[in-house]
Amino acid sequence: MREWLSQALEQTRAAFVALLLGALLLYALWPWLSGHARASAPRTLVFYGFSILDHAITRDVFPAFQRRWLARTGENIELISSFAGSGTVTNQIIMGVPVQLALLALEADAVRLADAGDVAPGSWLPLPYYGVVNRTPIVILVRSGNPKGIHDFADLARPGVRVVHPDPLTSGAANWAILAEYGAGARAHPGDPDAGHDLLLGIWKNVVAQAASARAARTQFDLGFGDALITYEQEGLWDRARGRLHGEIVYPRSTIFTEHTLVVVSKNVASNDRALVDSLVAFLWSVPAQQMFVRNGFRSVNQSLADADTTFHRIEDPFFVADLGGWERARPGIVEGVWRRRVLKELGR
Amino acid sequence: MSIRIENLDKRFGAQVVLERISLEVAEGELFVLLGASGSGKSTLLRVVAGLTMPDRGRVLLDGRDVTTLRAQQRGTGFVFQNYSVFRHMSVGQNIEFGLKLRKVPRAERARRCDQLLDLVGLPGFGSRDAAQLSGGQQQRVAIARALAYEPRVLLLDEPFGALDVRIRTQLRRSLREIQERLRITTVLVTHDQDEAFELADRVGLMDRGRLIEVGRAEELYARPRTLFGATFLGSGTLLMGRVEAGRARFRGLGLSVVPDQPHEDGAPAHLLVRPEDLQVSSDAIPDDLPELGRGTVVEESFAGAVRRVRIRFPNRAEVHQASSSRSDSDGFTVEALLTVHEQLPDGEVRVALRRWHFLDPPSASLLVADPGHGSIVALELARALSQALGAKVTVLGVAVDARQAGGLGWRIQRRLTRAHLASGELRVRYGSSPSAQILNEQAELLSQMIVVSSSSVLHPLIDWAFPGKAMRRAPGRTVLALIESTRVPVLVVAGRPRELKHTLVVSTPGAAETDFLRESARLARPLKLAATLIETGEERQMARGEDPFVARGIEVRTRERVTAPDPGSEATALLQFPSDLLTVPVIRRAPHQTNEIEPLVAALLASADRPVLVLPVERTETYTTTRSD
Amino acid sequence: MRESDEAPLDPPIVRAPSPGVFVPVGLLVLVLLPLLMMPLAAVFVFAFRGGTDAFREALAGKESQFALRFSLLIAFATAAVNSVLGTFAAYVLSKFRFPGRGALTTIVNLPIAIPTVVVGTSLLLLWGPIGLLGRTLEPLGLQPMFAPIGVLLAHLFVTFPYMLGTVKPLLDELEVTYEEAAATIGASRMQTFWHVTLPALRGSIFTGALLTFAHSLGEFGATVLVSGNLRLRTQTAPLYIFAQFEAGNLAAANAVAAVLATLSFVIFFLLLNMTRRAERHT
Repeated sequence: MREWLSQALEQTRAAFVALLLGALLLYALWPWLSGHARASAPRTLVFYGFSILDHAITRDVFPAFQRRWLARTGENIELISSFAGSGTVTNQIIMGVPVQLALLALEADAVRLADAGDVAPGSWLPLPYYGVVNRTPIVILVRSGNPKGIHDFADLARPGVRVVHPDPLTSGAANWAILAEYGAGARAHPGDPDAGHDLLLGIWKNVVAQAASARAARTQFDLGFGDALITYEQEGLWDRARGRLHGEIVYPRSTIFTEHTLVVVSKNVASNDRALVDSLVAFLWSVPAQQMFVRNGFRSVNQSLADADTTFHRIEDPFFVADLGGWERARPGIVEGVWRRRVLKELGR
Repeated sequence: MSIRIENLDKRFGAQVVLERISLEVAEGELFVLLGASGSGKSTLLRVVAGLTMPDRGRVLLDGRDVTTLRAQQRGTGFVFQNYSVFRHMSVGQNIEFGLKLRKVPRAERARRCDQLLDLVGLPGFGSRDAAQLSGGQQQRVAIARALAYEPRVLLLDEPFGALDVRIRTQLRRSLREIQERLRITTVLVTHDQDEAFELADRVGLMDRGRLIEVGRAEELYARPRTLFGATFLGSGTLLMGRVEAGRARFRGLGLSVVPDQPHEDGAPAHLLVRPEDLQVSSDAIPDDLPELGRGTVVEESFAGAVRRVRIRFPNRAEVHQASSSRSDSDGFTVEALLTVHEQLPDGEVRVALRRWHFLDPPSASLLVADPGHGSIVALELARALSQALGAKVTVLGVAVDARQAGGLGWRIQRRLTRAHLASGELRVRYGSSPSAQILNEQAELLSQMIVVSSSSVLHPLIDWAFPGKAMRRAPGRTVLALIESTRVPVLVVAGRPRELKHTLVVSTPGAAETDFLRESARLARPLKLAATLIETGEERQMARGEDPFVARGIEVRTRERVTAPDPGSEATALLQFPSDLLTVPVIRRAPHQTNEIEPLVAALLASADRPVLVLPVERTETYTTTRSD
Repeated sequence: MRESDEAPLDPPIVRAPSPGVFVPVGLLVLVLLPLLMMPLAAVFVFAFRGGTDAFREALAGKESQFALRFSLLIAFATAAVNSVLGTFAAYVLSKFRFPGRGALTTIVNLPIAIPTVVVGTSLLLLWGPIGLLGRTLEPLGLQPMFAPIGVLLAHLFVTFPYMLGTVKPLLDELEVTYEEAAATIGASRMQTFWHVTLPALRGSIFTGALLTFAHSLGEFGATVLVSGNLRLRTQTAPLYIFAQFEAGNLAAANAVAAVLATLSFVIFFLLLNMTRRAERHT
């Protein structure tokens, strides 16, 4: 009797395990079994973007383009995307990820792709606006009520201010931020050749956390790290629009407008996909797409659209990477020359 | 089905596991292979089953050569010591496995299974989980499983070894019944002699890869032919003597018996005395029974219908105890069985032999101690001697510790091949005293001669530094220690390889009172040596009347007397005589003393450029008395 | 009346836990609480902070659904492939004697010691488009990296030793005579393996498969490198959690994390249960 019972129990247990595993397998395979899976695989494009683009691209721009393409050609297409720090994205493309389009946080990463032979040098320049899809200024996010009284980059250099900064190794925003900090310093004291370096040094003394991307830096800040976060304006605006901004945006007097460059990785574009890619590229600069970027907190490259929108805060002394001699000079001169070789050394890091 | 095994050889690496095994098991017979662990009995069984491939030889089942067939194709039933019942199957599935493989229909399988379960005494166990059974039950299942596909041979490898005594007895009885009912040819391997006696139609005794003796149990017990057979089965005492004039005489005992086996004159004789063969009484013993002597009862134990008594004799005899303790330096003990009714006084008892049995005259055997390096002359000489004497050669390597022993074994193995002595048995022992190791081995094997290289103990570095074989080497400490304690001739090998044709027998003054000349002659004859007889010292030693050399038909080239002022020049003079071998005595004054090495012998050993045969001889009262009759 | 009834019975001896026990036990709990228990609890707390509706919504997303399904599929595939490969490897390493066996055993167990990130890098450097083999494969249109097959490769690599670790000890212990018994009964090597050896290993193969499954489900380091982290294509659940966490979507991250944690618990208890039963059996 007891033997029978234990045998029955054993069998029940085995049945339970089998059932559980079966259910898991069924669940995993469901889309393919249920016929939801499309009979024939649609054409796919792979798009890599730097971190803050995620929502704007996957929720607004891509669905709009897919609808438009379907309406025009009757073809469903699949747009696959991945978002990470711009440096990470660039590195992955260099490692050979089969991506057709990449929207990078800075032109310098496009240059790295060109250097690695993944795209033709300067291949993005013939695109509209020299390949710049949208832009956004570098700003400072502070805690609600601005308890540390931070109003400009110079305030971040004060002792006792803890700054969260993205990591320049992997993040495009971080590279922009370094230019912004350096430029702000230089522009405040036009006669002093070391003014940019001094401000950079002052701010980096106070950096307490570095995250891999702008998004990750903001997550850290949201989790309570630091008093101030240097990031894209878009980050603050996007959160504010959703009532999730746990703090305030502080606009420095002088700051840089980041410009985000699109590259087409032509070697990964099959010849019959060319038209599709070209169409998607053109769409990114179309008015509806640009409006979507604006709705997501980016500033449009289209001056008429930018001027039409009054919700954006006016920046007193904006400057561009071109003012610093373009990335071909700013990267070696400021990021490598001043920040890495001087500031980091002086900080003993 | 009959089993026939012809000349099986099997080695695992350098180790000989089976050596020249031939055996026949008749149809329906229950044959038991009995031996200690490592004797090769399981390997032999596995060879029959096809689980192990022999290196040489044939296995025939019903006259069909199956040597190259794999186990699957032989269709034997095999039962393992650890049952190896398939734990994930039910009892029924286990039993039916072989039938299933043979595509037997389900109904037939079930019928067979029930039948077998009844046969092995597990009716109704078919649906039980095999893993839940006790050890004894599992082994019953294993037997049923092995019988399921009706094999014509059942092989059992220590089937009851892992079970406790009570279950073992039950299973033995079951097995005997099953075997008798099915009349299936069965071979069972065990180390348990009770098991062998209880089950076997015939028993095969195995030791170190050899099948020593085969016979019915009673036969093996009462009339073993070999020392191993005598000591492995049952208890008893072996008395070591020598045959003279048709009677076996035993040193230190007044005993003289006519062997029940033909023995050559002068050959060693081994008398087996079983406890039940002894007549013990406090008073006079019948005249027709040979008396072992007078001893005292030192121990008595009650064992049911009989009493075991241990009787101690003060005599210094050469004995070999089958079980229990060895003989000590001043006396020996024997065991006797008495009925419960026999009463014994506490004091002295007289012990006589009611029955006795002599082992087969031991075949000549040589023990060669090899250092594993240096010249192989000793090995080559041993080969020549073994051929001339028909003797078996055992080569012994002595190492300092276990670690060294491994490497030494391999080195000696290579040397044996070089010396064409590959048939010799190789043993490696380790211990701090090499001479003691050699003597122990000799005592165990009862070797009749020890062959040792005079340079045995030299370090290989010296060989390397002085490669010239011409370099004379004094015998090392090991050789001297060996000569001092040996009871058998020691051949100390020195010099270049040579054929032994002519020996120089050097009779020292001390040898006069001993058997030296007779012993020399006894050894010279089978080797077909010519002899030159030399007397040293002042006195005349050689008996004129009966010359043992002449009596044995040995060619004596010259007889001379050599005298010199000191042993050194005496030795030099002796080495001037042409000879291939020197025969010299070492003399024991009393039975348990060491041998005395006379200065001349020491000088000869130190300077000899040829082999020296050292004969230990004794000068005792007993000797004198035996010679007088 | 019997004698024993007259004598008053001594009270039964009850051994109270000595007060000294509470100190180490309390200390252990105190250490484990922040180290192990509370972080796990936090995942569930955060997952349900927005209420069950928010939790359901976070899980219902196309990407989270895909990530979970993809992870499960990869885990099933990894467990299936490695069950066969691992058992085969264990069988070969345990039953055959050949030169280099020790070295091979070490190599096969190596993935346990190699950081998963290094596994990812080495796979990329071999199979990636610029890798040693990948370079020749790419012109043929074969591109294992940044594709599901690449993720599977990485998981097979990383989890290979688990199967071996559970099956080989059992095989080593399985008496030689077990297979010899089958041979004497007449089973060929295949039949022996199929009917005798494999069933004996059933339990440990299942355990190994579960372990493999669990590890594959949680694999991150190698996956992040070889998958390219492509949404709806190669993004596994852990990658999804990480991406959503980095992006600040804590709710989405925690919802999937909670599901993953629950799955792991279930597998863990299954494993625990099985080992206990196995212990009782022997």
